[in-house]
Amino acid sequence: MSKAERVTHLYQFHKQNAKIVEFAGFQMPIWYKGIIPEHMAVRTRVGIFDITHMGRVIISGAKSEAFLNYVITNDASVLTPLSAQYSVMCNESGGIKDDFVVSKLEQERFLMVYNAANREKDYQWLVQNAKAFEVKVEDVSDNIAMFAVQGPNAQPTLQKVADADLSKIERFKCGWTKLAGVDGFVSRTGYTGEDGFEVFVWNTPLADPESAIKVWNAIMKAGEEFGIEPCGLGARDTLRLEAGMCLYGNDIDETITPLEAGLGFVVKLKKDSFIGRDALSKQKAEGIKRKRVGLRMLEKGPSPRPQQEVWKDSKIGYVTSGTFSPLLECGIAMAYVGVEHAVEGGTVAVKVRDKDLKAEVVRFPFYDPTKYGYARQK
Amino acid sequence: MRVSDYEIPDKLHYSKEHEWVRLEGKEAVVGITDYAQKQLHEIVYVEVQKEGSEVKQFQTMGTLESVKSVSDVYSPVTGKITKVNKELTDSPELLNEDPYEKGWLAKINLTDFKKDMEKLLTAQQYADYIKTKET
Repeated sequence: MSKAERVTHLYQFHKQNAKIVEFAGFQMPIWYKGIIPEHMAVRTRVGIFDITHMGRVIISGAKSEAFLNYVITNDASVLTPLSAQYSVMCNESGGIKDDFVVSKLEQERFLMVYNAANREKDYQWLVQNAKAFEVKVEDVSDNIAMFAVQGPNAQPTLQKVADADLSKIERFKCGWTKLAGVDGFVSRTGYTGEDGFEVFVWNTPLADPESAIKVWNAIMKAGEEFGIEPCGLGARDTLRLEAGMCLYGNDIDETITPLEAGLGFVVKLKKDSFIGRDALSKQKAEGIKRKRVGLRMLEKGPSPRPQQEVWKDSKIGYVTSGTFSPLLECGIAMAYVGVEHAVEGGTVAVKVRDKDLKAEVVRFPFYDPTKYGYARQK
Repeated sequence: MRVSDYEIPDKLHYSKEHEWVRLEGKEAVVGITDYAQKQLHEIVYVEVQKEGSEVKQFQTMGTLESVKSVSDVYSPVTGKITKVNKELTDSPELLNEDPYEKGWLAKINLTDFKKDMEKLLTAQQYADYIKTKET
Protein backbone atom coordinates (compact mmCIF):
# COMPACT_ATOMS: atom_id res chain seq x y z
CA MET A 1 0.00 0.00 0.00
CA SER A 2 1.47 3.36 -0.95
CA LYS A 3 1.87 5.94 1.79
CA ALA A 4 -0.86 8.25 0.54
CA GLU A 5 -3.41 5.46 0.68
CA ARG A 6 -3.45 5.01 4.43
CA VAL A 7 -6.90 5.28 5.89
CA THR A 8 -8.49 5.02 9.32
CA HIS A 9 -11.24 2.72 10.63
CA LEU A 10 -13.81 5.41 9.85
CA TYR A 11 -12.82 5.88 6.22
CA GLN A 12 -16.16 4.74 4.82
CA PHE A 13 -17.96 7.27 7.03
CA HIS A 14 -15.59 10.04 5.98
CA LYS A 15 -15.86 9.16 2.30
CA GLN A 16 -19.63 9.28 2.41
CA ASN A 17 -19.90 12.46 4.44
CA ALA A 18 -16.80 14.60 3.99
CA LYS A 19 -14.44 16.13 1.50
CA ILE A 20 -11.27 14.07 1.73
CA VAL A 21 -7.70 15.34 1.56
CA GLU A 22 -4.34 13.70 1.98
CA PHE A 23 -2.67 14.58 5.25
CA ALA A 24 0.56 13.00 6.51
CA GLY A 25 -0.01 10.06 4.17
CA PHE A 26 -3.60 9.50 5.31
CA GLN A 27 -6.87 10.02 3.50
CA MET A 28 -8.59 12.29 6.02
CA PRO A 29 -11.77 14.40 6.15
CA ILE A 30 -11.10 18.14 5.81
CA TRP A 31 -14.71 19.08 6.36
CA TYR A 32 -18.19 17.52 6.44
CA LYS A 33 -20.72 20.38 6.55
CA GLY A 34 -18.04 23.05 6.46
CA ILE A 35 -15.25 24.44 8.57
CA ILE A 36 -17.37 27.25 10.02
CA PRO A 37 -20.38 25.20 11.26
CA GLU A 38 -18.04 22.49 12.60
CA HIS A 39 -15.87 25.06 14.35
CA MET A 40 -18.91 26.70 15.94
CA ALA A 41 -20.32 23.33 17.03
CA VAL A 42 -17.15 22.74 19.07
CA ARG A 43 -17.10 26.28 20.52
CA THR A 44 -20.76 26.21 21.53
CA ARG A 45 -21.87 22.54 21.72
CA VAL A 46 -19.79 19.46 20.89
CA GLY A 47 -17.87 17.97 17.98
CA ILE A 48 -16.11 14.67 17.27
CA PHE A 49 -12.86 14.30 15.31
CA ASP A 50 -11.18 11.17 14.00
CA ILE A 51 -7.53 11.59 15.01
CA THR A 52 -6.47 8.00 14.47
CA HIS A 53 -3.73 9.24 12.12
CA MET A 54 -1.71 10.51 15.09
CA GLY A 55 1.34 8.57 16.30
CA ARG A 56 1.18 6.59 19.55
CA VAL A 57 3.93 4.78 21.43
CA ILE A 58 4.01 2.94 24.72
CA ILE A 59 7.21 3.43 26.69
CA SER A 60 7.69 0.86 29.42
CA GLY A 61 10.36 -0.52 31.68
CA ALA A 62 12.11 0.22 34.96
CA LYS A 63 13.88 3.27 33.50
CA SER A 64 10.98 4.67 31.49
CA GLU A 65 10.63 7.78 33.63
CA ALA A 66 14.37 8.47 33.51
CA PHE A 67 14.35 7.93 29.76
CA LEU A 68 11.46 10.34 29.27
CA ASN A 69 13.17 12.93 31.41
CA TYR A 70 16.19 12.63 29.15
CA VAL A 71 14.35 13.01 25.81
CA ILE A 72 11.56 15.45 26.70
CA THR A 73 11.83 18.94 28.16
CA ASN A 74 9.01 18.69 30.70
CA ASP A 75 9.38 16.82 34.00
CA ALA A 76 7.81 13.36 33.73
CA SER A 77 8.50 12.66 37.40
CA VAL A 78 5.63 14.93 38.47
CA LEU A 79 3.15 12.65 36.69
CA THR A 80 1.06 10.41 38.90
CA PRO A 81 -0.58 7.34 37.34
CA LEU A 82 -3.47 8.34 35.05
CA SER A 83 -2.33 11.88 34.52
CA ALA A 84 -1.00 13.60 31.40
CA GLN A 85 1.23 16.49 30.44
CA TYR A 86 2.00 18.53 27.34
CA SER A 87 5.67 18.62 26.36
CA VAL A 88 8.15 18.92 23.54
CA MET A 89 11.34 17.10 22.72
CA CYS A 90 14.30 18.98 21.28
CA ASN A 91 17.43 18.34 19.31
CA GLU A 92 20.84 19.23 20.78
CA SER A 93 20.49 22.85 19.58
CA GLY A 94 17.21 23.23 21.44
CA GLY A 95 15.11 23.11 18.24
CA ILE A 96 11.76 21.38 18.63
CA LYS A 97 11.62 17.83 17.24
CA ASP A 98 7.94 17.56 18.08
CA ASP A 99 5.25 18.48 20.57
CA PHE A 100 3.00 15.87 22.16
CA VAL A 101 1.09 14.69 25.22
CA VAL A 102 2.53 12.06 27.56
CA SER A 103 0.18 10.11 29.79
CA LYS A 104 1.35 7.95 32.65
CA LEU A 105 -0.68 4.76 32.48
CA GLU A 106 0.93 3.13 35.53
CA GLN A 107 4.33 3.03 37.23
CA GLU A 108 6.90 2.40 34.51
CA ARG A 109 4.42 2.61 31.63
CA PHE A 110 3.73 5.74 29.59
CA LEU A 111 1.73 6.56 26.46
CA MET A 112 3.02 9.27 24.14
CA VAL A 113 0.78 10.75 21.44
CA TYR A 114 2.52 12.83 18.78
CA ASN A 115 1.93 14.44 15.40
CA ALA A 116 0.95 12.29 12.42
CA ALA A 117 3.49 14.05 10.20
CA ASN A 118 6.30 13.05 12.60
CA ARG A 119 5.37 9.43 13.21
CA GLU A 120 8.47 7.85 11.70
CA LYS A 121 10.87 10.59 12.78
CA ASP A 122 9.73 10.52 16.42
CA TYR A 123 9.72 6.75 16.66
CA GLN A 124 13.26 6.57 15.30
CA TRP A 125 14.42 9.32 17.66
CA LEU A 126 12.90 7.59 20.68
CA VAL A 127 14.30 4.18 19.77
CA GLN A 128 17.75 5.60 19.09
CA ASN A 129 17.85 7.41 22.42
CA ALA A 130 16.33 4.51 24.34
CA LYS A 131 19.43 2.35 23.79
CA ALA A 132 21.14 3.70 26.89
CA PHE A 133 18.08 2.93 29.04
CA GLU A 134 16.29 -0.26 30.01
CA VAL A 135 13.08 0.63 28.24
CA LYS A 136 10.87 -0.70 25.53
CA VAL A 137 9.46 1.72 22.94
CA GLU A 138 6.51 0.15 21.20
CA ASP A 139 4.66 1.80 18.31
CA VAL A 140 0.99 1.05 18.97
CA SER A 141 -0.35 3.56 16.43
CA ASP A 142 -1.89 0.94 14.18
CA ASN A 143 -3.59 -0.90 17.01
CA ILE A 144 -5.54 2.01 18.43
CA ALA A 145 -8.30 4.17 17.00
CA MET A 146 -8.43 7.66 18.46
CA PHE A 147 -11.18 10.26 18.51
CA ALA A 148 -11.42 13.69 20.09
CA VAL A 149 -14.75 14.70 21.61
CA GLN A 150 -14.55 18.43 22.25
CA GLY A 151 -16.77 21.26 23.35
CA PRO A 152 -18.80 22.41 26.35
CA ASN A 153 -21.10 19.39 25.93
CA ALA A 154 -18.29 16.85 25.50
CA GLN A 155 -18.69 15.41 28.99
CA PRO A 156 -22.48 14.88 28.94
CA THR A 157 -22.15 13.38 25.45
CA LEU A 158 -19.35 10.97 26.28
CA GLN A 159 -20.83 10.07 29.68
CA LYS A 160 -23.79 8.46 27.90
CA VAL A 161 -21.46 5.82 26.41
CA ALA A 162 -18.79 5.56 29.16
CA ASP A 163 -19.00 3.31 32.23
CA ALA A 164 -16.56 5.39 34.29
CA ASP A 165 -17.71 8.58 36.02
CA LEU A 166 -16.16 11.20 33.74
CA SER A 167 -16.81 14.04 36.17
CA LYS A 168 -14.02 12.49 38.30
CA ILE A 169 -11.50 12.87 35.48
CA GLU A 170 -10.13 16.38 35.67
CA ARG A 171 -8.30 18.29 32.97
CA PHE A 172 -5.04 16.49 32.04
CA LYS A 173 -6.17 13.35 33.88
CA CYS A 174 -7.03 10.02 32.26
CA GLY A 175 -8.96 6.86 32.95
CA TRP A 176 -9.85 3.41 31.67
CA THR A 177 -13.45 2.86 30.78
CA LYS A 178 -15.77 0.77 28.67
CA LEU A 179 -17.17 2.85 25.81
CA ALA A 180 -20.32 1.36 24.30
CA GLY A 181 -19.11 -1.94 25.77
CA VAL A 182 -15.67 -1.67 24.16
CA ASP A 183 -12.38 -1.39 26.09
CA GLY A 184 -11.26 2.20 26.00
CA PHE A 185 -9.10 4.84 27.57
CA VAL A 186 -9.87 8.54 27.81
CA SER A 187 -7.80 11.60 28.64
CA ARG A 188 -9.26 15.01 29.36
CA THR A 189 -7.10 16.72 26.76
CA GLY A 190 -7.52 18.20 23.30
CA TYR A 191 -6.42 20.58 20.59
CA THR A 192 -9.33 23.00 20.45
CA GLY A 193 -9.06 25.08 23.62
CA GLU A 194 -12.38 23.61 24.77
CA ASP A 195 -13.11 21.12 27.50
CA GLY A 196 -13.22 17.62 26.11
CA PHE A 197 -11.72 14.19 25.88
CA GLU A 198 -9.43 12.23 23.65
CA VAL A 199 -10.78 8.72 23.34
CA PHE A 200 -8.62 5.68 22.64
CA VAL A 201 -10.21 2.47 21.40
CA TRP A 202 -7.67 -0.14 22.40
CA ASN A 203 -6.82 -3.28 20.38
CA THR A 204 -8.63 -2.29 17.24
CA PRO A 205 -6.42 -2.87 14.19
CA LEU A 206 -7.53 -1.43 10.87
CA ALA A 207 -8.26 -4.92 9.57
CA ASP A 208 -10.90 -5.30 12.27
CA PRO A 209 -12.47 -1.85 12.54
CA GLU A 210 -15.81 -2.88 14.06
CA SER A 211 -15.20 -1.78 17.65
CA ALA A 212 -13.84 1.63 16.54
CA ILE A 213 -16.88 2.17 14.32
CA LYS A 214 -19.15 1.09 17.17
CA VAL A 215 -17.65 3.64 19.56
CA TRP A 216 -17.78 6.45 16.95
CA ASN A 217 -21.43 5.70 16.14
CA ALA A 218 -22.35 5.49 19.82
CA ILE A 219 -20.78 8.91 20.51
CA MET A 220 -22.50 10.41 17.45
CA LYS A 221 -25.84 9.06 18.69
CA ALA A 222 -25.22 10.18 22.27
CA GLY A 223 -24.36 13.67 21.03
CA GLU A 224 -27.48 14.09 18.90
CA GLU A 225 -29.39 15.82 21.68
CA PHE A 226 -26.47 18.25 22.10
CA GLY A 227 -26.14 19.02 18.41
CA ILE A 228 -22.92 17.09 17.82
CA GLU A 229 -21.11 17.52 14.49
CA PRO A 230 -18.39 15.34 13.00
CA CYS A 231 -15.46 17.70 12.42
CA GLY A 232 -12.61 17.56 9.95
CA LEU A 233 -9.03 18.74 9.88
CA GLY A 234 -10.12 22.20 8.70
CA ALA A 235 -12.00 22.98 11.90
CA ARG A 236 -9.28 21.28 13.95
CA ASP A 237 -6.81 23.81 12.56
CA THR A 238 -8.99 26.91 13.02
CA LEU A 239 -9.91 25.82 16.56
CA ARG A 240 -6.32 25.25 17.66
CA LEU A 241 -5.26 28.55 16.10
CA GLU A 242 -7.96 30.52 17.94
CA ALA A 243 -6.82 28.76 21.13
CA GLY A 244 -3.21 29.82 20.47
CA MET A 245 -1.89 26.26 20.17
CA CYS A 246 1.08 25.51 17.91
CA LEU A 247 0.94 23.42 14.77
CA TYR A 248 4.15 21.50 14.18
CA GLY A 249 5.63 22.33 10.79
CA ASN A 250 4.02 25.79 10.84
CA ASP A 251 4.58 27.44 14.19
CA ILE A 252 7.30 25.18 15.56
CA ASP A 253 10.02 23.08 13.97
CA GLU A 254 13.64 22.06 14.50
CA THR A 255 14.89 25.63 13.98
CA ILE A 256 12.68 27.12 16.69
CA THR A 257 13.16 26.61 20.41
CA PRO A 258 10.34 26.19 22.94
CA LEU A 259 11.46 29.44 24.59
CA GLU A 260 10.92 31.36 21.35
CA ALA A 261 7.61 29.58 20.83
CA GLY A 262 6.28 30.70 24.21
CA LEU A 263 6.42 27.12 25.48
CA GLY A 264 8.86 27.85 28.31
CA PHE A 265 6.34 26.34 30.74
CA VAL A 266 7.24 22.87 29.43
CA VAL A 267 11.01 23.42 29.72
CA LYS A 268 12.27 22.32 33.12
CA LEU A 269 15.89 23.48 33.19
CA LYS A 270 16.26 22.27 36.79
CA LYS A 271 16.09 18.65 35.60
CA ASP A 272 19.46 16.82 35.62
CA SER A 273 20.13 16.64 31.94
CA PHE A 274 18.04 16.31 28.84
CA ILE A 275 18.60 16.67 25.12
CA GLY A 276 18.83 20.37 24.27
CA ARG A 277 19.27 21.51 27.86
CA ASP A 278 22.59 23.26 27.37
CA ALA A 279 21.37 25.20 24.35
CA LEU A 280 18.13 26.16 26.09
CA SER A 281 19.92 27.22 29.31
CA LYS A 282 22.22 29.40 27.27
CA GLN A 283 19.34 30.93 25.34
CA LYS A 284 17.42 31.58 28.54
CA ALA A 285 20.43 33.31 30.09
CA GLU A 286 21.11 35.43 27.01
CA GLY A 287 17.47 36.14 26.28
CA ILE A 288 15.49 35.23 23.18
CA LYS A 289 15.61 37.42 20.08
CA ARG A 290 12.26 36.50 18.53
CA LYS A 291 8.99 35.37 19.98
CA ARG A 292 5.71 33.83 18.85
CA VAL A 293 2.84 36.28 19.13
CA GLY A 294 -0.83 36.45 18.19
CA LEU A 295 -1.96 38.97 15.59
CA ARG A 296 -5.55 40.07 15.24
CA MET A 297 -6.43 41.96 12.08
CA LEU A 298 -7.93 45.36 12.80
CA GLU A 299 -9.82 45.79 9.53
CA LYS A 300 -12.11 43.66 7.43
CA GLY A 301 -10.22 42.22 4.48
CA PRO A 302 -8.02 39.32 3.53
CA SER A 303 -6.78 36.95 6.22
CA PRO A 304 -3.09 36.64 7.03
CA ARG A 305 -1.40 33.48 5.76
CA PRO A 306 1.87 31.62 6.48
CA GLN A 307 5.09 33.23 5.18
CA GLN A 308 3.66 36.73 4.88
CA GLU A 309 5.95 39.41 6.28
CA VAL A 310 5.22 41.42 9.41
CA TRP A 311 6.37 45.04 9.37
CA LYS A 312 6.79 47.96 11.70
CA ASP A 313 8.74 50.53 9.67
CA SER A 314 10.97 47.65 8.58
CA LYS A 315 10.47 43.90 8.46
CA ILE A 316 10.19 42.54 12.02
CA GLY A 317 9.00 38.99 11.41
CA TYR A 318 6.80 36.59 9.53
CA VAL A 319 3.47 34.78 9.83
CA THR A 320 3.56 31.04 10.58
CA SER A 321 -0.19 30.31 10.72
CA GLY A 322 -3.10 32.43 9.64
CA THR A 323 -6.78 32.00 9.02
CA PHE A 324 -10.18 33.58 9.06
CA SER A 325 -11.46 33.12 12.62
CA PRO A 326 -15.01 31.72 12.49
CA LEU A 327 -15.70 32.89 16.04
CA LEU A 328 -14.22 36.39 15.86
CA GLU A 329 -15.09 36.83 12.15
CA CYS A 330 -11.76 38.45 11.34
CA GLY A 331 -8.30 37.38 10.29
CA ILE A 332 -5.99 36.00 12.98
CA ALA A 333 -2.40 34.79 12.85
CA MET A 334 0.56 33.48 14.72
CA ALA A 335 3.83 35.17 13.87
CA TYR A 336 7.42 35.35 15.04
CA VAL A 337 8.56 38.91 15.61
CA GLY A 338 11.60 40.53 17.17
CA VAL A 339 11.18 40.33 20.94
CA GLU A 340 11.10 44.14 21.26
CA HIS A 341 7.90 44.09 19.16
CA ALA A 342 6.24 41.25 21.07
CA VAL A 343 4.25 43.68 23.16
CA GLU A 344 0.54 43.21 23.71
CA GLY A 345 -1.48 46.05 22.23
CA GLY A 346 1.23 47.04 19.75
CA THR A 347 0.22 47.70 16.16
CA VAL A 348 2.01 46.10 13.22
CA ALA A 349 1.34 45.56 9.51
CA VAL A 350 1.02 42.26 7.68
CA LYS A 351 1.98 42.33 3.99
CA VAL A 352 -0.82 40.60 2.12
CA ARG A 353 -0.19 40.75 -1.63
CA ASP A 354 -0.03 44.50 -2.44
CA LYS A 355 -1.53 45.68 0.85
CA ASP A 356 -0.29 46.55 4.32
CA LEU A 357 -2.95 45.29 6.71
CA LYS A 358 -3.05 46.62 10.24
CA ALA A 359 -2.95 44.10 13.06
CA GLU A 360 -2.76 44.23 16.83
CA VAL A 361 -0.41 42.06 18.89
CA VAL A 362 -2.68 40.09 21.24
CA ARG A 363 -2.34 37.40 23.88
CA PHE A 364 -3.46 33.79 23.46
CA PRO A 365 -6.14 32.58 23.27
CA PHE A 366 -7.65 34.96 20.74
CA TYR A 367 -11.13 34.63 22.29
CA ASP A 368 -12.29 35.83 25.70
CA PRO A 369 -11.42 32.87 27.98
CA THR A 370 -14.24 33.71 30.37
CA LYS A 371 -16.73 33.16 27.54
CA TYR A 372 -15.15 30.35 25.46
CA GLY A 373 -12.72 27.51 26.07
CA TYR A 374 -12.26 25.08 28.95
CA ALA A 375 -12.04 27.79 31.61
CA ARG A 376 -15.26 29.54 30.59
CA GLN A 377 -17.57 30.68 33.36
CA LYS A 378 -20.60 28.42 33.14
CA MET B 1 -27.60 20.98 -17.16
CA ARG B 2 -26.23 19.16 -14.17
CA VAL B 3 -23.10 17.07 -13.75
CA SER B 4 -23.04 15.12 -10.48
CA ASP B 5 -23.49 17.88 -7.87
CA TYR B 6 -22.80 20.81 -10.15
CA GLU B 7 -25.18 23.16 -11.91
CA ILE B 8 -23.99 24.27 -15.37
CA PRO B 9 -26.45 26.73 -16.98
CA ASP B 10 -26.78 26.09 -20.74
CA LYS B 11 -26.50 29.64 -22.04
CA LEU B 12 -23.24 30.68 -20.43
CA HIS B 13 -19.68 30.42 -21.70
CA TYR B 14 -17.03 28.82 -19.50
CA SER B 15 -13.29 28.78 -18.93
CA LYS B 16 -11.21 25.81 -17.81
CA GLU B 17 -10.34 27.85 -14.73
CA HIS B 18 -14.04 27.59 -13.75
CA GLU B 19 -15.24 31.08 -14.55
CA TRP B 20 -18.46 31.79 -16.45
CA VAL B 21 -19.38 34.59 -18.89
CA ARG B 22 -22.87 35.92 -19.65
CA LEU B 23 -23.26 38.35 -22.54
CA GLU B 24 -25.31 41.50 -21.96
CA GLY B 25 -24.96 43.55 -25.17
CA LYS B 26 -21.37 44.85 -25.39
CA GLU B 27 -20.71 43.83 -21.81
CA ALA B 28 -19.98 40.53 -20.19
CA VAL B 29 -20.98 39.57 -16.67
CA VAL B 30 -18.45 37.18 -15.17
CA GLY B 31 -18.32 34.98 -12.11
CA ILE B 32 -17.16 31.60 -10.83
CA THR B 33 -18.99 28.35 -11.51
CA ASP B 34 -20.92 26.17 -9.12
CA TYR B 35 -18.06 23.66 -9.35
CA ALA B 36 -15.54 26.35 -8.33
CA GLN B 37 -17.57 27.57 -5.36
CA LYS B 38 -18.09 24.02 -4.13
CA GLN B 39 -14.36 23.32 -4.32
CA LEU B 40 -13.47 26.53 -2.47
CA HIS B 41 -16.36 26.22 -0.01
CA GLU B 42 -17.15 28.91 2.58
CA ILE B 43 -15.78 31.95 0.78
CA VAL B 44 -15.04 34.64 3.37
CA TYR B 45 -13.33 37.34 1.31
CA VAL B 46 -13.59 38.57 -2.27
CA GLU B 47 -11.26 41.02 -3.97
CA VAL B 48 -11.68 42.12 -7.60
CA GLN B 49 -9.58 44.68 -9.48
CA LYS B 50 -10.97 48.22 -9.43
CA GLU B 51 -13.57 49.53 -11.84
CA GLY B 52 -11.75 50.97 -14.85
CA SER B 53 -8.98 48.33 -14.76
CA GLU B 54 -8.04 46.62 -17.99
CA VAL B 55 -8.08 42.83 -17.77
CA LYS B 56 -6.79 40.27 -20.22
CA GLN B 57 -8.27 36.86 -20.90
CA PHE B 58 -6.94 34.23 -18.46
CA GLN B 59 -5.00 36.76 -16.40
CA THR B 60 -5.66 37.46 -12.75
CA MET B 61 -8.61 39.73 -12.05
CA GLY B 62 -8.95 39.11 -8.33
CA THR B 63 -8.59 36.88 -5.30
CA LEU B 64 -10.99 34.69 -3.37
CA GLU B 65 -10.32 33.50 0.15
CA SER B 66 -12.04 30.64 1.91
CA VAL B 67 -11.38 29.93 5.58
CA LYS B 68 -8.25 27.94 4.76
CA SER B 69 -7.18 28.91 1.26
CA VAL B 70 -6.44 31.74 -1.14
CA SER B 71 -7.20 31.40 -4.87
CA ASP B 72 -6.73 33.66 -7.86
CA VAL B 73 -9.65 34.39 -10.15
CA TYR B 74 -8.82 34.75 -13.84
CA SER B 75 -10.77 36.92 -16.20
CA PRO B 76 -12.45 34.74 -18.84
CA VAL B 77 -12.47 37.69 -21.28
CA THR B 78 -10.41 40.72 -22.34
CA GLY B 79 -11.74 44.22 -21.68
CA LYS B 80 -12.27 46.94 -19.11
CA ILE B 81 -14.02 46.38 -15.77
CA THR B 82 -17.03 48.70 -15.65
CA LYS B 83 -18.64 47.44 -12.48
CA VAL B 84 -17.65 45.31 -9.51
CA ASN B 85 -20.22 43.51 -7.36
CA LYS B 86 -19.90 45.53 -4.14
CA GLU B 87 -22.37 43.35 -2.27
CA LEU B 88 -19.68 40.68 -2.06
CA THR B 89 -17.61 42.87 0.27
CA ASP B 90 -20.08 42.41 3.11
CA SER B 91 -21.66 39.18 1.88
CA PRO B 92 -18.97 36.99 0.29
CA GLU B 93 -21.20 34.00 1.02
CA LEU B 94 -23.33 35.04 -2.00
CA LEU B 95 -20.65 33.37 -4.11
CA ASN B 96 -21.50 30.07 -2.45
CA GLU B 97 -25.23 30.59 -2.27
CA ASP B 98 -25.89 31.90 -5.76
CA PRO B 99 -22.77 31.76 -7.97
CA TYR B 100 -24.57 32.49 -11.27
CA GLU B 101 -26.81 35.38 -10.17
CA LYS B 102 -26.23 37.32 -6.94
CA GLY B 103 -22.64 36.08 -6.76
CA TRP B 104 -21.46 37.67 -10.04
CA LEU B 105 -18.00 39.21 -9.72
CA ALA B 106 -17.71 41.94 -12.34
CA LYS B 107 -19.06 43.46 -15.55
CA ILE B 108 -16.51 43.85 -18.31
CA ASN B 109 -16.69 46.00 -21.44
CA LEU B 110 -15.52 43.59 -24.12
CA THR B 111 -12.63 44.29 -26.48
CA ASP B 112 -13.08 41.42 -28.91
CA PHE B 113 -15.45 38.74 -27.71
CA LYS B 114 -15.14 36.75 -30.92
CA LYS B 115 -11.50 36.23 -30.12
CA ASP B 116 -12.24 35.40 -26.45
CA MET B 117 -14.83 32.87 -27.62
CA GLU B 118 -12.20 30.79 -29.40
CA LYS B 119 -10.80 29.77 -26.04
CA LEU B 120 -14.03 29.46 -24.06
CA LEU B 121 -16.15 26.35 -23.62
CA THR B 122 -19.85 25.78 -24.20
CA ALA B 123 -21.90 24.37 -21.32
CA GLN B 124 -21.65 20.91 -22.87
CA GLN B 125 -17.88 21.17 -23.29
CA TYR B 126 -17.50 22.45 -19.73
CA ALA B 127 -19.70 19.64 -18.44
CA ASP B 128 -17.47 17.09 -20.19
CA TYR B 129 -14.43 18.81 -18.70
CA ILE B 130 -15.93 18.62 -15.18
CA LYS B 131 -16.61 14.91 -15.70
CA THR B 132 -12.89 14.34 -16.29
CA LYS B 133 -12.15 16.14 -13.00
CA GLU B 134 -14.58 14.00 -11.10
CA THR B 135 -13.03 10.66 -11.94
